[in-house]
Amino acid sequence: MTLVLTPPPESPEVDLTTTYDAIVVGSGAAGGMAANVLTAKGLKVLLLEAGKKINVEAELRSMQWPYEHPRRGDAPPGWHALSLNEYNIRKPPYAAKDSAFKHVWSYVGGWGGSDYVKNILVDEKQNPYTGTNYAWVRARVLGGKTNIWGRLALRLSDYDFKAKTHDGYGEDWPISYADIEPYYDRVDRYLGISGHKEGLPHLPDSLFQRSNKLNAGEIKLRNALKPMGRTATPYRAGVTTDGVKNKYRSKCFGRGACGRRPGGCDIHAAFDSPTGLIYPAMDTGNLTLRTNSTAHEILVDPKTGRARGVAFVDSVTHKSLEAKAKVVVVGASTLESARLLLLSKSPQHPNGIGNSSDHVGHNFCEHLMGPGVTGLVKELVGKEHGIEDGRPGGFYVPRFRNLSDKQPGFLRGYGFEGNSGKSIFPDSTDRPGFGKQYKKEVRDYAGAFINMGGFGEVLPRYENAVSIDPDVKDAWGIPVLKFDYKFGDNEKKMAEDMAVTAKEMFEAAGIEVIGVDKELLTEGWSIHELGTSRMGSDPKTSVLNQFQQSHDVKNLFVVDGSSHVNASCQNPTWTIMALAWRSCDHLADELKKGNL
Amino acid sequence: MSDSRWTMTRREMLGATAAALVLPLLEARPLAALTRYNFAARVFTPAEFALVDELSDIIIPTDEVSPGAREARVAGEIDRRLADALDPEQVKRWKDGLRAVEDLSREMNGTTFLKSTPEQRVAVLTKMASTEDETPGSRRRRRANPSSSIGGFYRQLKGATTRAYYTSKIGIHNDQHYKGNVFQTGEYAGLDPT
Repeated sequence: MTLVLTPPPESPEVDLTTTYDAIVVGSGAAGGMAANVLTAKGLKVLLLEAGKKINVEAELRSMQWPYEHPRRGDAPPGWHALSLNEYNIRKPPYAAKDSAFKHVWSYVGGWGGSDYVKNILVDEKQNPYTGTNYAWVRARVLGGKTNIWGRLALRLSDYDFKAKTHDGYGEDWPISYADIEPYYDRVDRYLGISGHKEGLPHLPDSLFQRSNKLNAGEIKLRNALKPMGRTATPYRAGVTTDGVKNKYRSKCFGRGACGRRPGGCDIHAAFDSPTGLIYPAMDTGNLTLRTNSTAHEILVDPKTGRARGVAFVDSVTHKSLEAKAKVVVVGASTLESARLLLLSKSPQHPNGIGNSSDHVGHNFCEHLMGPGVTGLVKELVGKEHGIEDGRPGGFYVPRFRNLSDKQPGFLRGYGFEGNSGKSIFPDSTDRPGFGKQYKKEVRDYAGAFINMGGFGEVLPRYENAVSIDPDVKDAWGIPVLKFDYKFGDNEKKMAEDMAVTAKEMFEAAGIEVIGVDKELLTEGWSIHELGTSRMGSDPKTSVLNQFQQSHDVKNLFVVDGSSHVNASCQNPTWTIMALAWRSCDHLADELKKGNL
Repeated sequence: MSDSRWTMTRREMLGATAAALVLPLLEARPLAALTRYNFAARVFTPAEFALVDELSDIIIPTDEVSPGAREARVAGEIDRRLADALDPEQVKRWKDGLRAVEDLSREMNGTTFLKSTPEQRVAVLTKMASTEDETPGSRRRRRANPSSSIGGFYRQLKGATTRAYYTSKIGIHNDQHYKGNVFQTGEYAGLDPT
């Protein structure tokens, strides 16, 4: 079967003398959505992306067999991916400039099949950071991390938006579920999502397309969890299984490429920003795209203090350039957006633009990872290979803590992502011994294991922050971020509970527990960093209003995860896109009314 | 991001060590293994290559279902991976480990590994495997104990053999009968949740 992909459209010439309606900084989930919504409303938009445009299908090569690759999927000699040990034992910057390795990646580059992401992840040597230990994963290419994201697409609920009302900690969001629900629906319909309706108040259902299925072990778990008031639901994947109206995307054919590599979908059934949002935006004729453009300052009109454009460095020529616009929309990722705001100092905004509250970079939060469980489903031992890894995901166990109960040790909750079933590389090679017996056991036990790992809410705390390092610069001479971020007591107590409940659920399902992980992984591991420019109704304690618009600078919007008031425990991508859509609707209306 | 990955990482390979022992004289038929596939090893000497070839084929032998590690050219893939790693320490650990295997063979069998009988070879590997941790299945692979020598090398050898075998054509198709990596037109495998 050959798949014919529609080639990407051409961008109009970049014109740095003109004043665009809006400049969007960043082309991932947030920036892509902003560009899409604004151009659909007829605005002339310039999209700046720091990374390059790549032929992503040629990178991902999803159907290539390991033995067809000269290095079985390994990256070329001289490329190194950071390990858990390196993150924990050393301090950033993790890649010394004089490192013996030609290129150094974040840990994601150490997963099997690293050759397929070598041009998607950033080189840590060019992109250092300092401060406390943090596993910061970045992808500087058109589409950013959406090119390789884990695809779990979840909604937040009022347990998250009104978390302070519920338990007294932190701040409520300036919106409720009712405000964002229509936009979640739009994202579902426009981009496609697969899942199974459960009717849970704390994990609202999406407008699902065909769900992926559960295997026998997962059904056992689901049945055992029901009487406990818990749920194991098929992975809610940001993958179109019935198709969407978009000529750049195909629906999921269940090829078995999802779990094999560090990520990516070269038929674009899984959402990615270029095919899902940016190419359709270019087809309106209203979007101009400039890649290799690293924004380092939001320029300010000295008379009004308002944003007038963006200064950027051409990543290839290192030349400094400026672009002008009526509105600046930042969607560079939670940490890069904070960096850009903090770097944008002017007499009008001495702490960085939009930072009169001194909250930019603060209240930094995310999801903790590490605790989890592995079990053996004995009935599956010796069963013939199925095709379960053709599914775009395994299962998800939504939050069950601190909903109607109140845990003594910690606030908020956590969910589990799980997987089981046959995969291309057998999960059974840990069997003891060697020889014919070993080989038979690998065969018999392959696909009989089931595992799940927790994602827990890290509380937003003012003191968890990033700031600009006064000394260290990146390869383009731009000052880098310094981390001052650590898990606290709430996170440690939560992690303990995660390991206990993970084990208890497998035991309840009659799954033989063969391993329990208790240790927290390094801060940053979940790649869900959030909250550095939070929304709120009080300009003294928040950076943005409910439309992700700067309290200080009316024509500045920050539409990515940095606007989130808390992390919840649900994966953020779908919420990032729903919020960006809502804000850009508002932005376009305000611009038309002449309010910006 | 959710992940079930196919292999141990390079770091885990680096983690295992083997004691540096006196260089034994390697005899046997070293060239046979190399010339079998017209293969030029980049890291292993012909004698070392022959030893890795034999060790891997004892770990994953031919059985009634599928050919073993030798036919899947596992030793060649291990050599390739070591050569590409560009890490002299890692290569040294392998060479030290192979010497330790020879020393153990001399100690137990009074002769080199390849000159020992099949039963004697299995006895050497059984001895090496005796330190193996028997509680498999952590979500994150256990780190090999860097202080143990021959046991550490055994885990390294087994891990590398497994990785090379189950990413080979023989491993994936003949042995595992892997059915994925094809376009499916029907439903996903599995059961409906309701």
